[in-house]
Amino acid sequence: MGKVKTLKEAASLVSDGDRLAIGGLLLQRIPAAFIRELARQGKKGLKVMKTAANYDFDLLSFAGCVDEIAAGFVSFEAEFGLAPNFRKAVEDGRVRFEENSCYTVIASLRAAAFGIPFMPIASLGNSYLVNKFKEIENPYGEGKVLAVPAIYPDWAVLHVHKADEEGNAVIYGPVYEDLIMSRAARNIVLTTEKVVSKEDIKRELDLAVIPGFKVRAVVEVPGGASPGACYPYYDYSSEHLKRYLSIRDHEGLKRYLDDVNP
Amino acid sequence: MDREKKLLIANTMIVTMARLLKDAQNVFMGVASNLPFFAIWLAKKLYNPGLIWLNIPGRVNPEPSFPPLSTVHYEIAREGSASLTLAEIFDMSARGELDVAFLSGVQIDKYGNFNLSFLPDEVKGRVKIQFTGGAGSALIYPNSRRVILWRTKHDKRTLVERCPVVTAGGNLYRVVTSLAVFKREGKERLVLESIHPYSSYKEVAENTAFPIHPAPFTPPPTPEEIALLQEFDPEGVRVVEFD
Repeated sequence: MGKVKTLKEAASLVSDGDRLAIGGLLLQRIPAAFIRELARQGKKGLKVMKTAANYDFDLLSFAGCVDEIAAGFVSFEAEFGLAPNFRKAVEDGRVRFEENSCYTVIASLRAAAFGIPFMPIASLGNSYLVNKFKEIENPYGEGKVLAVPAIYPDWAVLHVHKADEEGNAVIYGPVYEDLIMSRAARNIVLTTEKVVSKEDIKRELDLAVIPGFKVRAVVEVPGGASPGACYPYYDYSSEHLKRYLSIRDHEGLKRYLDDVNP
Repeated sequence: MDREKKLLIANTMIVTMARLLKDAQNVFMGVASNLPFFAIWLAKKLYNPGLIWLNIPGRVNPEPSFPPLSTVHYEIAREGSASLTLAEIFDMSARGELDVAFLSGVQIDKYGNFNLSFLPDEVKGRVKIQFTGGAGSALIYPNSRRVILWRTKHDKRTLVERCPVVTAGGNLYRVVTSLAVFKREGKERLVLESIHPYSSYKEVAENTAFPIHPAPFTPPPTPEEIALLQEFDPEGVRVVEFD
């Protein structure tokens, strides 16, 4: 069977309890349409990670899809304020927030990508986060080094500008943690602004930073990062975000998910 | 608070932070860093054109044509002199090569530690109020040479005796709030360095939960500084944090 799938088919590959690394950063190039489909399918017990998130993790918290969030920062910025459904889910004890430094999220993914059990990192000073990690003796010199454990995501979920039917994909502009996620994860699912020919990818080979061999699904979703931005195609939508942030209950969330599809 | 007052506070904080960058080699701006964005932009225009501006979109020395509301907006990635990913900027900090970084906390204590993590419910032993998380600060604060903390609020819930949770602590350079500037005496405690011209010692003392001593006024923004900011930001993106 080919890798090009519908959003519904692609999201159904994800099992309850899977660990997902979600691409993009804050409102930039998030796989938003895929996140909404996970919520529509009522996934449970997911574990999600990235350095800095807002809409995606807030929505998954609201919909009751996640048990655990590992991130350095979960909030909207400036005019949109904090991530209300994330906060409430954590404060009510429905979601376990494993606060990380953005750097320890990266270190966990690097360890997985490098095929080693942990990643030694520079000091985190007197941060309470130090208590979440073990220290090891420096085997080559003085003192101790903080060791961040490898985390192997079952899936890296990335939104890209274009991909061919084998999942070879091109990203324009900032890549954020997408590359390290794609190397660390066991499987990759791509949503893409456009499915293109192999010849098209070959013309921009230097930008084809995601090789297709771990890609299990390619879904064409034009505007798939919305309400987030996809540089240089479209900016984030303040109107859409304000609408999302005005949803107060699960009825409202259901209407929103029915309406905003994909 | 009326718009004039908001602009006065924003301008004062921005120029105060910009002047702190006069001798900086490089400076990092993270997520949700509206006022540092303007401070770095102004410092490069007026005081330190060679300053290397690092940011999350990963473009060295961006050339934004307008001030975006988000400091990870792709306008910051559109132009620049080279690319350096966020992970690589963190690595730079880990190696001790990051000179100045802007960070912020919901609570800042008299030792210069801050809390951006959560307020604990001491009785129930769990999270009472979840904040945003400290982003990269736990790495950046102890490993960068000079950290400038900034905060658009200044009250006793913000400037506290001791943070119940320390998200990050380390190499503090200055704390710039809506009312005043603090520096650290030795390795220990924050001391008041200056009071913004529209405030007073009484107001700062009443709104700070640890003891302070009198200090001179912060030099006010110059007409040139204000004109540049107004030209770059006629819509007033720089007051959004005060709404």
